[in-house]
Amino acid sequence: MSEGCSKKGASFIVLISTSIQFNTQIYFSKMSSKESCRNELRTAIRQLSDRCLYSASKWAAEQLVGIEQDPAKFTPSNTRFQRGSSSIRRRFRTNEITSTPPTGFAYVSTPVMEEDEAIHGDFYLLAKSYLDCREYRRAAHVLRDQTGKKSVFLRCYALYLAGEKRKEEEMIELEGPLGKSDAVNRELVSLERELSTLSKNNMIDPFGLYLYGLVLKEKGNEILARKVLVESVNSYPWNWSAWSELQSLCTTVDILNSLNLSTHWMKEFFLASVYQELRMHNESLSKYENLQGMFTFSNYIQAQIGKVRYSLREFDQVEVIFEDLLRNDPYRIEDMDTYSNVLYTKEYFSALSYLAHRVIMTDKYRPESCCIIGNYYSLKGLHERSVMYFRRALKLNKKYLSAWTLMGHEYVEMKNTPAAVDAYRRAVDINPRDYRAWYGLGQAYEMIGMPHYALHYFQKSVFFQPIDSRLWIAMAQCYESEQLHMLEEAIKCYKRAANCNDTEAIALHRLAELHRELGHPEEAAFYYKKDLERMEAEEREGPNTVEALTFLATHYKTQKRFEEAEVYCTQLLDYTGPERETAKTLLRGMRIAQSGFPSMDVEHFHP
Amino acid sequence: MAGVVKAPAPGAFAITPHKVSLCILVHTYASPSQISVPFPFSSVSQHNRLGLYLLALTKSCDDILEPKLDQLINQLREIGGLLDDWLTDHVTSRLSSLSAPDDLFNFFNELRETLGGPDSGVMDDDQVILDPNSNLGMFLRRCILAFNLLTFEGICHLLTNIGIYCKEAISSSSYEHRLDDSGNDLESLSEYENMDLNLVFKKINEEMEARKKATEQVSFHLHLPKDLSTLVEDVEVFADPKPEHNEKGGESSSYASGDLLRDVDPDGGVFLRTNWQIQGYLMEQADAIEKSSCGRHGSSFTFNAFELTLRQLQKLAPEFHRVHFLRYLNNLYHDEYFSALENLHRYFDYSAGTEGFDFVPPAGSNDFGRFEIALLCLGMMQFHFGHPKRALEVLTEAVLVSQQQCNDTCLAYTLAAICNLLSEIGFSTTSGILGSPFSPMTNVGTSLSVQQQLFVLLNGSLKKAESLKLKQLIAANNLAMAKFGLTHVQRPLLSFGPKISMKLRTCPIVVCKELRSGYHLISDFCCEGSTMTTDGAFSTAWLKNLQKPMGSLVMSQDNGSGNNSNPFLFFTQPSSIPGSVLQLVGSSYLHRATAWEMYGSAPLARVNALVYATCFADASSSSDAVVVHVKLIQHLAAFKGYKEAFAALKIAEEKFLCASKSRILILKLQLLHERALHRGHLKLAQQVCDELGVLASSVTSVDLELKTEASLRHARTLLAAKQFSQAAAVAHSLFCMCYKFNLQVENATVLLLLAEIHMKSGNAVVGLPYALASLSYCQSFNLDLLKASATLTLAELWLSLGSNHSKTALTLLHGAFPMILGHGGLELCARAYITEAKCYLSDPSFSVSDNPELVLDPLRQAADELQALEYHELMAEAFYLMAIVYGKLGQLQQREEAASSFKNHIVALDHPHDADDPFLS
Repeated sequence: MSEGCSKKGASFIVLISTSIQFNTQIYFSKMSSKESCRNELRTAIRQLSDRCLYSASKWAAEQLVGIEQDPAKFTPSNTRFQRGSSSIRRRFRTNEITSTPPTGFAYVSTPVMEEDEAIHGDFYLLAKSYLDCREYRRAAHVLRDQTGKKSVFLRCYALYLAGEKRKEEEMIELEGPLGKSDAVNRELVSLERELSTLSKNNMIDPFGLYLYGLVLKEKGNEILARKVLVESVNSYPWNWSAWSELQSLCTTVDILNSLNLSTHWMKEFFLASVYQELRMHNESLSKYENLQGMFTFSNYIQAQIGKVRYSLREFDQVEVIFEDLLRNDPYRIEDMDTYSNVLYTKEYFSALSYLAHRVIMTDKYRPESCCIIGNYYSLKGLHERSVMYFRRALKLNKKYLSAWTLMGHEYVEMKNTPAAVDAYRRAVDINPRDYRAWYGLGQAYEMIGMPHYALHYFQKSVFFQPIDSRLWIAMAQCYESEQLHMLEEAIKCYKRAANCNDTEAIALHRLAELHRELGHPEEAAFYYKKDLERMEAEEREGPNTVEALTFLATHYKTQKRFEEAEVYCTQLLDYTGPERETAKTLLRGMRIAQSGFPSMDVEHFHP
Repeated sequence: MAGVVKAPAPGAFAITPHKVSLCILVHTYASPSQISVPFPFSSVSQHNRLGLYLLALTKSCDDILEPKLDQLINQLREIGGLLDDWLTDHVTSRLSSLSAPDDLFNFFNELRETLGGPDSGVMDDDQVILDPNSNLGMFLRRCILAFNLLTFEGICHLLTNIGIYCKEAISSSSYEHRLDDSGNDLESLSEYENMDLNLVFKKINEEMEARKKATEQVSFHLHLPKDLSTLVEDVEVFADPKPEHNEKGGESSSYASGDLLRDVDPDGGVFLRTNWQIQGYLMEQADAIEKSSCGRHGSSFTFNAFELTLRQLQKLAPEFHRVHFLRYLNNLYHDEYFSALENLHRYFDYSAGTEGFDFVPPAGSNDFGRFEIALLCLGMMQFHFGHPKRALEVLTEAVLVSQQQCNDTCLAYTLAAICNLLSEIGFSTTSGILGSPFSPMTNVGTSLSVQQQLFVLLNGSLKKAESLKLKQLIAANNLAMAKFGLTHVQRPLLSFGPKISMKLRTCPIVVCKELRSGYHLISDFCCEGSTMTTDGAFSTAWLKNLQKPMGSLVMSQDNGSGNNSNPFLFFTQPSSIPGSVLQLVGSSYLHRATAWEMYGSAPLARVNALVYATCFADASSSSDAVVVHVKLIQHLAAFKGYKEAFAALKIAEEKFLCASKSRILILKLQLLHERALHRGHLKLAQQVCDELGVLASSVTSVDLELKTEASLRHARTLLAAKQFSQAAAVAHSLFCMCYKFNLQVENATVLLLLAEIHMKSGNAVVGLPYALASLSYCQSFNLDLLKASATLTLAELWLSLGSNHSKTALTLLHGAFPMILGHGGLELCARAYITEAKCYLSDPSFSVSDNPELVLDPLRQAADELQALEYHELMAEAFYLMAIVYGKLGQLQQREEAASSFKNHIVALDHPHDADDPFLS
């Protein structure tokens, strides 16, 4: 029995190696790569769903449909199915990508997997049906004596799923007042034993390796898990689930760079997603845009681009992207929480309510749905209800990061600081790089009059997101607070804020004011001027303008630079109010001074 | 999901297999419908012993995890005596008979019968009924309640767990090979359940008996005469896998390493103890961490091991936030700044300061949280890590917040912390912060000096503590007050108005009063420190000493000096004074010692230090212990000479290995410097002195006290090198510094030194005012010994003014003699003797031949005393004088002897050689 098995394994390897040689020659022209991509994906979808890897096959199918069809070959009905309006796409794609994925050619083609013999195949069919009906243990039992690779994988996978299901149940059963006790997947140990034996004897296929990696990761053996998963994706790159697991194990750039991944277009997807998690947004965006050249109509890529742009705070574009996405894929729930965040920030009540209505009709018990409703209620100012829905989202997924943070915001609104702190802290403990939660913690502590304590959290948040001006401004305000009154530090923070694109233009104004208070007129003038320039560029006016003009006029007058002073004074004359009178007085004073002194002098001082 | 569910933990009483077996035992202990000694027990004492054992089991807090079945069986064997087989059989068979959920229901119903009804006030004498309100009764009731609250799934889990619990006992006792198929699948488990466990257990027990007989370790001791049995006990100590429990740190590490092993076990039924027991355990550990902070017990290991335990606890009970606090403590005392900070923040973020603090009023308004405590802790942490400025900022914020929240308790503690901070750090740095408009006591105004502010704060804190009846805080504040009274002059606080009430003196009576009020803490100690720890700790200790035969306390103490660190047995009334209180009381002794040191009574200082070292050594923090050792060694050096002092120092160095940077090192340098000065080894002296100076201004902050001492010693060295003008310059600048920072005691010392410098340089007239000034300082601060020594210098000055002043000098000297001889060290006495002799000799009206002993006696005494100090210069002088006297008396032989001794010492002084000195680095 085992002899036959090893023979099969050997033939499989030969198959791969021949296909490698064969495929190296194909991947050169764009069209053929598209076509071969399609073929690869088609085969992969079949193989993945044979092994009940549903989400991976779903993902692959999405990409398959996302590949742009050759317009010559297809009737309009076909393209209609794909995508309606691509006008928006054109609007926002600044650089049209014409080339194929830049990494060139992949050298692994879809391998033809061995098929089990007919009788065993029957058992396999029964087991797969059971599995499709979520009767995991029954499926595993049917396959207990099967030795084909597919059957072995399916049995192990069924056991794993059975263990996971039981674990989830136990988690609720055992939940005590001190938190859940350690509910574990009780199948892991035996699975690990079996899979490691198989892999030692080289009798394991890429799917088995994926499962092995999964088990290792759950057991906490991350290094080996990474190794196994890399092996799996190198020999069978179309399994997106394996890539996702690998991605969750890449927590730093160093780890990512240490991975020995062979080149394949799937790797681009992986890298884009890893960059996104590591907050390397621009890198991630360029990868996704590259991929879009090939997978033009992929909803997945579009949504990811939306998320990246959200992190880059380009809300207008994100809104357009998601609108487009929703038009083509109206029942999509994944990633829609990001869309709701955008709608929330832009305060689009009706759009948000429409979205909430739609998702709740589609699937009420998805964490994303609950989060969207929570956002909606929060926008309406009904914070208790909002909290309720965020809690529901967290019940569905305890590690749902943004729900914790958003719930923290709600508690802040409700003035329940301890609860807010608790919620934020949980977010931070799930992902220590979540700068929003750090920021929230800082705000909460500042709210209850502990600015010094809050500083620690603000420092953390700017450490993880040094390019966000709001964080710097928050920290600066903390330093400025009456209790601390550390103005030098506040100035440093405002400077950082001003350097990173402070959209609300608080930093410049505060910098000017602080310098004025501290008696640095030169610096104050510098920042007032900058602030004025900025306001002119943005065509804004307000009390700040008047203040800046007044200061500058007075400042230059005391400096005896009368010409500049006059310019500002005349500008001031356009405004009503007491400042106008001040300007008049200043002008008058200057005229007297100028008449008193020879005008030559003034020019002499001022080149 | 505990985002808002702050309602913690007291209800966390889960029913576990271990508790089920305890229930079985309790049921046996108090089985209904029996006469006074129930069936299996043969005597009342046996019966009682089981009761005590059960009581201890429910209280002990030596670990976070419940013991396994085999541990329980082992302990049962130790206490059960003849009954052990019966008891273990009973427990195991009862456990294994629970094979279906219904069995559990029946079992707990049966248990209920054990409890007397609520109305069963009248009890028959011969019937055993468990009082529902007794400890065991409560335990049983909680178990029953917890069981009744279980869902069906919960009962199924309990059943499964009981299976695992039993199975582990089997596999760990003898059937090692079964571990292989122990597996996790339910099938094999149910196989076990269906098997007749009873049978298996019998077999195992038989086999174990056989093995025991083969190794001849345990089973005899009950049948043997006592002395033989103790012999067996000794052997058993070796057989015990756990290390001997003589110190806390060791204990925790051994337990933790055990946990580590258990952690490897995939799903070996690990169950947490009750919340209460874990709290007790954690508090014990916190004490232990603090006590071993400077690493008396090999700290590095404890750190990791305890960290592992905490991690495991966190995994098992993620909502048990106190773990973070313990982790913070662990990091704090092992100088891990960043993780300490991180854990501190995490703890308070989760708990909002409302969990686990004893002094939080339980019915307080909890809706806001108690973040001011977070600030308090943060401030103390910053201080610990040497950021006094930051600490002061944080504490100031803490004061504000606790005022806003009307948390007076926290306010009192914060004020105390600020006082502590102010009195510890150099005063020069703080004035800027305290002057800010947000300083805690704004009403005082900013014109006060830091000391005055400190005094105000101390008073405020003391008053707050008194009004809140926080006994420990009162005592701590009293101590701080005493300390303040020791070192600072009390002036009227208002600087305006008529200055009639100016009082420029410290008051020993006040200091003693403050110190004494600290003792009252013991007598009316109330339950501010929690009793749960002590109670639990005694139970733990008792469980560990199970092997001690009951009732033979005397015998066990006779032979058990090695393995018995705790003299209490369970039935003796434990003096339940928590460690923190003991520590406070101990440090009041330490303060006393310091006070006496300053006021000039060496014997009293020594007595107090000794009392501390003997009585409070267990409870002391290691820094206090170091201080006491330093004091005792200094005393040795002054009264017994360097040889003994260095021997003692060596012992102390071994004892406080990791603390080498701190006071021990300083002490070593001090001793080396003094000896080098005495031996005339000036280069070495200067080198040592420089090292001291380096220690004084470390990276973190300047230790003003040490800095003063270093430059004082520098001046001394210069003086010994006869570079008078330089010495005078150094001393002068030192005096300026001391005056600036109000270091009064040092002022007096420096003045005295200046006087000496001038005297040695031959300017006795210039020296006189310095000596007098020093004298007046000493008087106003009650520095008696220093005063005596100043008087001696004054006498010497008078003497060097000319022979006609020798009468004055002698009078002065005789006035100071009682003090010098009673309390002074060797050097001072010798100097006094020599000066006395010189006075007599220079007195023109005194003739040697009339009364030679009047001169010779003090000179001999001086020579004897100086011998221990190896003080060549003074010895030479003494022998020189002796030779002159002998010469005048015509005793030539003695004169030659004295002269040759004189020559020897002069030679030794001029050619200092490194004698065999292991301490020279």
